[in-house]
Formats: sequence, C-alpha cells, structure tokens
Amino acid sequence: MLEVRRLVKVFQQPKKKKKGADASAADPRERGRSFHAVDGVTFEAPGGKITGLLGPNGAGKTTLLRVISTSLQPTSGQVMVDGRDVAADPLAVRQRLGFLSGNTGLYGRLTPRELMRYFGDLHGMDAETLDARINDLAGTLGMQTYLDKRCDALSTGMKQKVNIGRTLVHDPEVIVFDEPTTGLDVPAAENILALVEQCREEGKTVILSTHHMHEVERICDHIVMIHEGKLRFTGSVAQMREVSGCDTLDKAFLALMDAEVIDAA
Amino acid sequence: MPRKASGGLGAVYRKEILEVSRDRKTLVFMLVLPLVLIPLLLQVMVDFVAEANKKAATETLTYALVGEEHLPGLSEALDGVGGFERVEIDSVEAIPAKLKAEELKFALVVPEPLGESQQSIVELHYDNASMTSKVKARTADVLKEFGEGVRAERLTALGIRTFSDQSAIIAPVVMVERGTASMREKLGENLGGILPYMVIPFCFLGALYPAIDLGAGEKERGTLETLLLAPVSRLRLVLGKYLVVFTSGLVSATLSLVAIGGWFAIEGPKLAGELSEITASIGAVDLALVWLMLVPTTAMFAAILLSISIYAKSFKEAQSFAAPFNMLCILPAVAAMLPGVELNWKWALVPVSNIALAIKELIKGTMDYSMLGVILASSSVVAGVLLVFCTRWFSRESVLFRQ
Repeated sequence: MLEVRRLVKVFQQPKKKKKGADASAADPRERGRSFHAVDGVTFEAPGGKITGLLGPNGAGKTTLLRVISTSLQPTSGQVMVDGRDVAADPLAVRQRLGFLSGNTGLYGRLTPRELMRYFGDLHGMDAETLDARINDLAGTLGMQTYLDKRCDALSTGMKQKVNIGRTLVHDPEVIVFDEPTTGLDVPAAENILALVEQCREEGKTVILSTHHMHEVERICDHIVMIHEGKLRFTGSVAQMREVSGCDTLDKAFLALMDAEVIDAA
Repeated sequence: MPRKASGGLGAVYRKEILEVSRDRKTLVFMLVLPLVLIPLLLQVMVDFVAEANKKAATETLTYALVGEEHLPGLSEALDGVGGFERVEIDSVEAIPAKLKAEELKFALVVPEPLGESQQSIVELHYDNASMTSKVKARTADVLKEFGEGVRAERLTALGIRTFSDQSAIIAPVVMVERGTASMREKLGENLGGILPYMVIPFCFLGALYPAIDLGAGEKERGTLETLLLAPVSRLRLVLGKYLVVFTSGLVSATLSLVAIGGWFAIEGPKLAGELSEITASIGAVDLALVWLMLVPTTAMFAAILLSISIYAKSFKEAQSFAAPFNMLCILPAVAAMLPGVELNWKWALVPVSNIALAIKELIKGTMDYSMLGVILASSSVVAGVLLVFCTRWFSRESVLFRQ
C-alpha cells in the first residue's frame, strides 16, 4: 500500500537570465526562484494492484517517484510506503521498496551474482537467505547461464533481467517500475510485463510509470495521471475512457492532460 | 531486519575494492606506475649525471699553447699527463673562433713575464657556460703541479731544502674545517627536496581514477539512484567509498616509497662516494616516518577528489575538474624547495608544504620530532574537515541530482 497526501516538491532555481523571462511566465509551476515540480498531489496505490502513473514528459513523474523512493525529500505533504513515512523513516521505507528504472545501469565489472549479493548485503540480508534468494531469482528469470559472467558482457535484455533481480532481491512490498520497457525489444518488454503481473499475483503494491498506452490498457488496474506537477485524473482504465469521452486511451490522455482534478474512483 | 551498527559500510567497501581491482586503468596508475616509473626515473637520472661526469673527466681535451717560450717546461708538463692533445694555431686572435667551432677545448696564453724569476701569468681561454665541463679543473690540476715543481726548485735554490721547511714557509697557518653540517645534511637537502616530488603525486594519482569511478562513474552508468535507495545512510555510503579512494591512494604512495627504498637498497652501494653513504644512512625508521606523512596527505587528496567526483556528472567532467587540483600537490611541494623556506612553526601549518618539508628534514636526519607531531596533527585536522565537507556534499540533492 502506498499513500501520497498533498505532496509538494519545490526546487530552488538559479537566478534566471533575462532571455528566459518569457518562458518562465508561461510555466505556472515557476514562482520567483521556486519551481513546483510536484504541486499538491494526492492518491493511493493499493496492494495486489498495478497502479499506472501517466503524464507527458516533464510532468513531474520522475520527481514524484524520487520522493516516493526517498532519494528526494518532500517539501510538504506526506508519503507512506507500507505504513512508513518517507520523511521520518527513510531507511525503513527503503527496506520495503524496490525501484526499477529503464535507464538504471549495472556495475559492469561485477557479475550478476555479485551485484545481487551487493544489494542484498546493503539490505542487511544474511548470507544464507541471500544465496537462496539469488538462486531463486536466477531460476525465475532464467539467468543461470550468465550468473557468473561480467555484466559488461551481457545483452540489453540480460542486463534488464539482472536489474529486475537486483530490484527484487530483498523481497520488497512496494515495487516501482519507472519506464521499465523503454528501449527494449518485444520479447524483453514482454518478460518485464509478465514480471510486473507476477508481482501483483504475489500481492505486492506495484506502481508502473510508462508512456505506452497499450501496456496501461493491458495490465493497469488503476490510473494516476499528472501534468505540470498537478493531479489530473485518478480512476480505472474504463473510467478514463468514460470521463474523457474518448474511445482510445491515447485520446483520453490528451483530453485529460489539462483537466481539473477528476477523481473517478 | 536487524542491522549491525556498521551495516552497509563494509559491503560498500568490499564491493568497491573488488571493482577497483578489476579495472585495468586504475591498476596501471595505482600499481604499475610507481613500481616501474620511479626506479626508471632514478636510474636514468643517476646514469645521466654519472655519464656526463665520466665523459668530462676522461675525454681528450684539445688545446693550444701560445707563448710557451715564456714558461719553459709547461708544454712538457701537459704532455706528461694523459688526455690532452695539442693543436697548433697561428695567433691569439684565432682562439675565440676555434673555441666556438670546438676545434679547441681551451687555450693557454702565457704573456711575457716582467723579469727573471717573477710570477708567471697563464690565461685560460675556454667555454665557461658548460655546467659539466671539467676543463678548468683538469687544467688547474696540471698547472698546480707544474707550479709546485717550479716553487720547490726556487726554494731549494734559496737554501730551503727540506719539504717540511718549505711547507712551513708556504703555509705557516692552516685552517682545518670541522663543519657541523654532516655530508648527509648537505646532500639530504637536495635528495630530500626531490623525494616529495616523487611520492606526493602518487598520493594523488593513485586516488584519482577510483575517485572518479566511485562518484561520477555511478552517475554516468546510472547506478547512483539505485544505490541511494539502499537502506544504508548516505554517511555510510560515502564513508565506504571514501575509504576505498583513500586505500587506493595510500597503496600507490606506499608502492612509490617502496620503489624508492628498494632502488636505493640495490643501486645505492654502487653510487659514487658520498651519495652511497647518505643512502646507507637513511634507515627504515626514516622511511616509515616519511610513509606516516603520506597518510594524512592521501586522506586530504581522497576527500577533495571524491567531492569533485560526486559533483561531476560524468567521467569527462570529473577529469577536467580534477586537473587543476594536480597543482594542489605540485605547488606546495615546490614551495618547500624554494631557497630560504625552512620547516618552522608557521610552515608546519601549511598543508602539503609541511609534508614536503618534513620529508626533507627526515632525509637530512635533522627532524625536530615535536614538529612532526604538529604536522601530523594539523594535516589530520585538514583531512578531517575535508572529509566532513565530502560527506555533507554527498547528502545534498542539488549535488547528487545535478542537472
């Protein structure tokens, strides 16, 4: 379970040069030297469901996910991950959270096994549990053949699997997938989606941030849409079509981008 | 999950050391460079100096002699010792051109003396710009011996016959030098001045690549964000990384010292005269103390380099940021070599310069050990402050997620 309440994240900007003055007037998120990247967003992502996080580029998705994952501090508002406050108890949140981003890299000079062991160690897992878990994940993800090769030598698809293994090694309750299929071919992307669904079967709370509407239609139970730092829509896929009056999700997306907050749920 | 108090730090350290040890570029800088470059540098330097000296002392010197009729026996004296070859010239005016063309190494001109049994003047014409030239010394040796022969003859003619009577007339009072500066001090001033140039850069170089890899490298590969999501405090993450950078720098600096010590142990006894004595007089304790000086030096460099690296967005940026800091290890060491700069309480507080000065004193064998304590303490404080800065730096969103 993930709860986000009136979350605000403000960045301080360096002083603008003169020529940028026009552009700043056009962006409602800029107030003086403050930039409101996330501006009062509230939603819930229940366990055992996949919540799709939608929004155009620069909507504030990455900032929102960084606050959820404790790498950025909230300016105000509250985020609870599995009952733990990100601001008050970030270490406990990190214990319960798995985060996978499409552009996450690997340590090229380590093998997948060493890499997963490193993150298991960082999570304070004991050696026995960790080794069992790594073998488990290697089986599920089909990594046995390259478990002891250097990550540098692996293909993009293999690397993505290693990344998944790294994300799940500590068996997190809440898992965030940030554009996990970007740049992957069809089989590799299918693998990821299957895994996202499997996490749902296991009762985990899954957040999926993506630009691919077909992925949203196929697997998301629940949608959260933001634009320019503000919440635009929450509800199911069916509700998104209904509310916008559009037959495809792409059109619905465009129609709702500038909507006032619609809470269909 | 219960965690140990040190949780995470050890995991970071072990993993980063493993990665560093698998990086060829880092290994070259950290291990190969000090172990190969330093002995090579020393060997080339010593060989070059020895070769130049040997050549100057043994090469055949071509010379011209004008006015030999004014000083009978001089020509024979020059022929009597080896290594001189006479060249005939027409006139005194031809000397400068012939010296320039190196047809002559030197020329002796004897003007007409004022009268019988008067003092004779011998002019030496030669290129006095050459530093390694032994022309003056070798000619002076011959003239001195020749002059002494003439003197003995004249004294004998005056009735002063024995050698001791003659000595008592020539030099009734002789000063014998008993200087306080030992040979080790004199030569140590030079050798000790060079040593910091050899070891201090390796504190920097050894730490450079690991620092870039562990900070900017994590950003460039896109692994930093994932690492920050591990349930380990940022303080422990950065300390783990810092210790790896520090270890690498210290390994490199230690190896450079081992290379120097090893080279002198093997080659030292073969060196000419005083240099071999001084290398023999530098003991293991002195080298151990020099090493001790390198510990806080490396600690400072590691903190600076890691801070730069964390700030940079890529390897490239980190490298260009780090380049000016090269000066940081060279310039203070240069200051220590300047004439008039000596280790005192003020210099003992200047970072890096104090280390270079202390190394010099240790090699000279004139270290004031209370000063040593001050230097270690002040350097450790500076290193500590830099480390605190580095850890704070690592906790700032604007540094970690710099756009």
